[in-house]
Amino acid sequence: MKGYYGVYGGQFVAETLIHALDELEEAFAKFKRDKSAKGELDDLLKNYAGRPTPLYYAKNLSRYLGCDVYLKREDLLHSGAHKLNNTLGQAILTKFMEKRRIIAETGAGQHGVATATAAALLGIECIVYMGKIDAERQRPNLLRMKLLGADVRIVEKGSMTLKSAINEALRDWVKNVQATHYILGSVVGPHPFPEIVAYFQSIIGREAKRQILKQAGKLPDCVIACVGGGSNAIGIFKGFLKDNVELIGVEAGGESLELGKHSATLAMGRPGILHGSLSYLLQDDCGQVAKVHSISAGLDYPGIGPEHSYLKDTGRVKYGVCFDSEALDGFKILSKLEGIIPALESAHAVGYVLKKRDYFKGKMIVINVSGRGDKDLGIIESMEENGV
Amino acid sequence: MCKIGIYLVCDYPDRDRFLKAVKLCERFGVDFLEIGIPFSDPTADGDVIEMASLQVLTREDMNDFHEALETVREIYSKRLYVMTYANVVYANGIEDFAKKFSFVDGVILADVPFKESKRFKGVFGRYDIGFVNFVTPETDLNALKKIKTFANDFIYFVSIRGTTGGEFNLDSGAINRLERLKEGKQDVIVGFGIRTKNDIEKACKYADGVVIGTEAIKSLTLSRLEDFLRNVIS
Ligand SMILES: Cc1ncc(COP(=O)(O)O)c(C=O)c1O
Repeated sequence: MKGYYGVYGGQFVAETLIHALDELEEAFAKFKRDKSAKGELDDLLKNYAGRPTPLYYAKNLSRYLGCDVYLKREDLLHSGAHKLNNTLGQAILTKFMEKRRIIAETGAGQHGVATATAAALLGIECIVYMGKIDAERQRPNLLRMKLLGADVRIVEKGSMTLKSAINEALRDWVKNVQATHYILGSVVGPHPFPEIVAYFQSIIGREAKRQILKQAGKLPDCVIACVGGGSNAIGIFKGFLKDNVELIGVEAGGESLELGKHSATLAMGRPGILHGSLSYLLQDDCGQVAKVHSISAGLDYPGIGPEHSYLKDTGRVKYGVCFDSEALDGFKILSKLEGIIPALESAHAVGYVLKKRDYFKGKMIVINVSGRGDKDLGIIESMEENGV
Repeated sequence: MCKIGIYLVCDYPDRDRFLKAVKLCERFGVDFLEIGIPFSDPTADGDVIEMASLQVLTREDMNDFHEALETVREIYSKRLYVMTYANVVYANGIEDFAKKFSFVDGVILADVPFKESKRFKGVFGRYDIGFVNFVTPETDLNALKKIKTFANDFIYFVSIRGTTGGEFNLDSGAINRLERLKEGKQDVIVGFGIRTKNDIEKACKYADGVVIGTEAIKSLTLSRLEDFLRNVIS
């Protein structure tokens, strides 16, 4: 069925948004046929954003782990994470639809920064919703968004994290839908968002595949990425879905797997409906969305993109869990051994490999380093002060 | 004849005052009631209804709401609807929900547009529960025809853009669509933004009735629901 991945996906939104979603679907179809629009995006990705990002053979980490580790360096993309691939694409779609106002939600602040960046570049008004807790723990990104000219609205309701930010962005969109485009930051939300975001992020996987074939002369055994909503993971997985390559998505295990203390949606959730799509969801017995936790603001979300739910059920992708403390190990090891400070989100992928090092021994693997960790230094500092 | 419906959040501000409000609605001859089962993430609602919902959720769950609604059914004689969000119905199976709430007349799901309504409508139909579809000032005219044909309960016309609690206004797109819905077999009820007698008169020029939510909740919070009902009904 259109807009579905197996049984997951759909358009579970207020009727008021249906017209805008239809319009977006149309604009996206037009964009894909339009050579000059695609040319504009390719040019921006190359000359403005810095694509292709390197695929780097991490010699020291490889020696440490006893396997061959390649890092896909999305942390080197302009504005510091993979998020810009999507926001540049959707900003061009916004112009296609002749809309003058962009809204976005943000958790870690990376999607907010990437949206504000694209909006500044293309001269579009930009409003970003950010939960109060995230604005505090990811303060450098709050300051960056403001410098880029975005109107950042702090959300002091509900969980005050990514989930609340999406709630408020949806409310804004319903109210101002005629002149506003909502740039969703991950492969979540109602159709066609999961498809659009995956399309713009799939450049990660296309490049990685070309690069690994060139550098290593063969495909890797495994590709590993962290999963919040799932956009950097889908982006890199798309390059290898049809190949004999093991794909592993890593969810945030938080403090423990007790409901409320983690964000491991696929590991611990069951199908439900939130923010426009049917997908796995962390919820209580009555269908109320559960509280979640992760040390990483970008993974601290009770839902997950519908395509991941589908890929889990079909078994094509394996999903694992990395706890807060293991992610911190990953964060530190990558910094010390390779001189690369990853985002705490990306550190979950590294931490998972550290924890399962026996499993990966002797294999060739690619880890998606979805972003850089400057934004997280405050969190690290306060953890150290507390003796963690 | 202009029907007037009132929306209340289940068990808000507490069980006692909620049931008193229902009795008031019965006494004033309110034509239908929509009882909101609170959801943790009510993205179609404005601040007033969200705050009320979250307040109730800190102390109650589905068993409480079921119990409260059974009591509502005993004391309120006209049409009774449950309004909530898709996941509340979906979480333990649509069938299960329909069985449990088979005593209500209809269900309204704020995040289920016509496109996604089939799976819900089918199950509810077997339990003789209506399913309410929405039309907006921007609903595609072909879709509007289908909605009109397949409606098995009233059609909820969302008069304004925005969440519940915005300003009331009917623009040309709205009036155009309301005229197209006019001679349909189901009632057309205008909602979102209705507060005053004047709004009601405006809406009922084109529709069969209105539903008042945010304004009713506000007056209930201030213990002024009785005055409010006296004012809008008569
Ligand atoms: C660097 C980085 N990686 C990963 C994520 C998680 O999002 P997704 O799963 O969509 O890639 C975020 C989200 O904020 C992020 O900033």
